[in-house]
Amino acid sequence: MLSVTPDILTDLPWGQLLVNGLALGSLYALTAFGIVLIFKTTRVITFAQGETAMFSTFVAFTLLTAFQLPFAVAFVLTMLFAGVFGALIERVVIRRISTTTVLNPVIVTVGLSLILLGAAGWIWGYEIRTFPDPVVGPPFHLGTVVVSQLNALIFLVTLVLMTVLFAFFRFSPTGIAMRAVAENRMAAQLMGVSIGRMNALGWGMGTAMGAVTGMLIAPINYLDPSMMGDVALKAFAAAVVGGLTSLPGAVVGGLLLGIVDSVVGFEVPELRNTIAFALIVLVLVVRPGGLLGRHETKKV
Amino acid sequence: MHWLRTRGRATAPYGLGLIAVLLIPALLNVIPGIAPGYVLYLVSLALIYAIVAIGLGILIGHTGQISLGHAGFFAIGAYASALLTLRLGLPFVVAVLVAGSVSAAIGFLLGLPALRLSGPYLAVATLGFGLAIPQLVVWQSSWTGGSSGLHGLPLASLPLGAFTIVFRTDQDYYYLAAAVLIVLTIFARNVVTSHTGRAFVAIRDSEIAARAMGVDLVRYKTTAFALSALYAGIAGALYAHLLHGISPEDFTVLLSVDFLTMIVLGGLGSIGGALSGALLLTFLQNALTRLPVVHDFKNLYIVVLGVILILTIVFFPQGLAGIARSWRLRRATRTLDRPAGAGQIVELGERSGVR
Amino acid sequence: MTGPVLEITDLTIRFGGLVAVDGLDLRVNAGEIVGLIGPNGAGKTTVFNCISRFYQPDRGTVHFKGRDITRSGSHEIIRFGIARTFQNVELCRSMTALGNLLVGQHVAMRSGVIRDGLRLPGVGADEARATQRADEMLELLGLTGDRDHVVSTLPFGLQKLVELGRALVSDPALLLLDEPTAGADKQEIQGLADLIRRMRDRFDLSVLVVEHDMSFVMGLCDRLYVLDFGRRIAEGAPADVRNDSAVIEAYLGEPELEVTEV
Ligand SMILES: Nc1ncnc2c1ncn2[C@@H]1O[C@H](COP(=O)(O)OP(=O)(O)OP(=O)(O)O)[C@@H](O)[C@H]1O
Ligand SMILES: [Mg+2]
Repeated sequence: MLSVTPDILTDLPWGQLLVNGLALGSLYALTAFGIVLIFKTTRVITFAQGETAMFSTFVAFTLLTAFQLPFAVAFVLTMLFAGVFGALIERVVIRRISTTTVLNPVIVTVGLSLILLGAAGWIWGYEIRTFPDPVVGPPFHLGTVVVSQLNALIFLVTLVLMTVLFAFFRFSPTGIAMRAVAENRMAAQLMGVSIGRMNALGWGMGTAMGAVTGMLIAPINYLDPSMMGDVALKAFAAAVVGGLTSLPGAVVGGLLLGIVDSVVGFEVPELRNTIAFALIVLVLVVRPGGLLGRHETKKV
Repeated sequence: MHWLRTRGRATAPYGLGLIAVLLIPALLNVIPGIAPGYVLYLVSLALIYAIVAIGLGILIGHTGQISLGHAGFFAIGAYASALLTLRLGLPFVVAVLVAGSVSAAIGFLLGLPALRLSGPYLAVATLGFGLAIPQLVVWQSSWTGGSSGLHGLPLASLPLGAFTIVFRTDQDYYYLAAAVLIVLTIFARNVVTSHTGRAFVAIRDSEIAARAMGVDLVRYKTTAFALSALYAGIAGALYAHLLHGISPEDFTVLLSVDFLTMIVLGGLGSIGGALSGALLLTFLQNALTRLPVVHDFKNLYIVVLGVILILTIVFFPQGLAGIARSWRLRRATRTLDRPAGAGQIVELGERSGVR
Repeated sequence: MTGPVLEITDLTIRFGGLVAVDGLDLRVNAGEIVGLIGPNGAGKTTVFNCISRFYQPDRGTVHFKGRDITRSGSHEIIRFGIARTFQNVELCRSMTALGNLLVGQHVAMRSGVIRDGLRLPGVGADEARATQRADEMLELLGLTGDRDHVVSTLPFGLQKLVELGRALVSDPALLLLDEPTAGADKQEIQGLADLIRRMRDRFDLSVLVVEHDMSFVMGLCDRLYVLDFGRRIAEGAPADVRNDSAVIEAYLGEPELEVTEV
């Protein structure tokens, strides 16, 4: 035996796994982006992100099947729904709790996710459904690598959303105000920014991002109330690995998680969550603020 | 019996609880129309969950370190004891103790990275831990039995000198669970009302103050993790033997959330709260399955859990223990006519278990 | 004992581009009460945080009783004999005043979770001894009436006092006080100066105190260091420092800190 590299590694279809991983990672990144956005604006880490996304995806499903709307229309309407839904959650629940301890928001958002889980089961039932394909047609071929139409759409949507969001936070007054709130609430308030409005907006946008993931992952996997459980964990891992305080970090973390997930899923599918957990712990022990996040000397 | 001595008047409920523990089986036998065996099984389950809740309460309520993955430790205890009795034929008692120790050791190890993780990061990491354990069990199917689990565990038994007590009936098992719970409750109470417990609360209140006063965060945070994992591990071992079998599906994230709900509902930082929260929630879960109008019990139960969590945090952040306290306070102010402010202050002081 | 209790050499720490403390040399001799003053943001609290090991200096050393503590853990400091209070009060807010003073004796008590959980012999006695010591300290500070009050319900001034008591019960050789007069009125400030001096005599303390109230500092301290933008701009007896032109310059435009007023 002269070969040092185990066969396992050389035999992997790396190109294909990379493309699949990036598509999956884009979806993780979108949800992670929402988590980080909510965390940055409201200092709340939401454990309901997966379930709000699942709920929104069911709404999209209803629009697509019961109302027979075209996918693009249902997609936009669902994003709007999720936005309003997220803002409403912020108004009705989050605003009422004291966020002086991290415990309260964690408990309340866990509670929210349970309610949504139950409600979705109630309304739509627990049977596993197939979600209508947004795009049909032959896949694209890049050499030996196959890119399905759906994956192409995922890349496109992610790219467009990220560009729009980048421009929003860079150039629009509202986006700049949101960043100001994230940087320094007190100073932002003194400058006349309405914290309450920004919090609601952060929740709305963050929730809408999750909904996008839901609508694009449901055609790959399936549709049922537990559809986002694993996805949300990966998105969490992505957000934490990238750094909870960094929006670009969420994207980097998401893509990274997607690739790891795709490779691990190919080799030892049983361990996908375990690897995600190990990755969280590993990154945080080496870089407590995440890959791109800031880790400051805590002011005493 | 100096180690049995607890402080202050809050001892009374524990005395009543002890009497109730002894009387429940007898009562069940005289009440017509119920199956005492099943109820005792249910109570045993509640007592086992209470053990987890007390341990989790020390970690979250007293030390302020969140865990969303305690079902993982519960699973570790359950699997360790099941494997030891089933595969190695070790005696039940040894298996329970080893299971607790293994779980505590893993809790200690998880506590190490936890040192570097503040609030939200820790919540995510422990959630991941809780998800990873059942996956690892399924993955290592050759010795864990994979997704079909381990079944046919031997009866629990306790060698006492010349002869051995074997726990055959539900009533036997009930006494076993109650005895373990009582011992662990006293232990927990002693810990939180002492030097160690004070260090835990100091960490929760202000890590900066704690460090400045010489509290070694590494030591005390890992201790809190290990201690609460020990409780969950022992409880897991008892659970495995109560059911005579386990499978990975018994240890979902939902179970971790159950444990969290128990202590939130009961009142964070209160051992009595953890106890009552565990009992209440287990019975609630069972009652919901019996409601004839509800077809999909799982559905209703998780919604109820969610509602409990949110309502408690929004309206009664101190949980049942807090409600009981303000009720006692109101009574005390009425009878003694002492200033409400002063009373409240003393009462609040008791909350942390630290004078 | 020979040599200074505390000796700081060339202490430097940066936060990003900001040099918060810049090449500071400072010493506190046995039994001295030394003041560390300077305008807002001068780096006074940062010096405390370097001594008590919350911050890691980029350069320089801190020696306590001849021992280099620049690499020690923050929780070890109190065992060496350095206790501190905080500018914005860091109490265990859910505990009573008594509870806080028991936390102050953390390192003096034997510990062990199994020992505590089983209430092994000695636990009760330790606890009783610590409680008695805490009660004595509460009495000394006139806090006996607040013994069983949860500290978060106490007014700020009393919280500062509880914090002082918590530092004192640890039986330190060096006490670091960060703005002890905050939250106190004029009369109380005078009382506080007397109290600190009494405590120094009674417990054989050396004291390093950060304070903005100039009359308090001038009356209390044996020696002063003046910081501005992290640099030491003056050092000496209060009377000399008061007339130092660099000091007057640094404080210009800070009316509340009129040095000349005294
Ligand atoms: N952890 C930190 N991260 C970043 N900057 C810090 C940190 N701690 C202190 N600083 C900065 O260092 C400088 C000195 O702060 P410090 O708190 O020591 O001042 P001070 O002299 O105590 O002021 P004051 O009289 O207002 O208490 C300030 O500019 C402060 O913003
Ligand atoms: Mg300061």
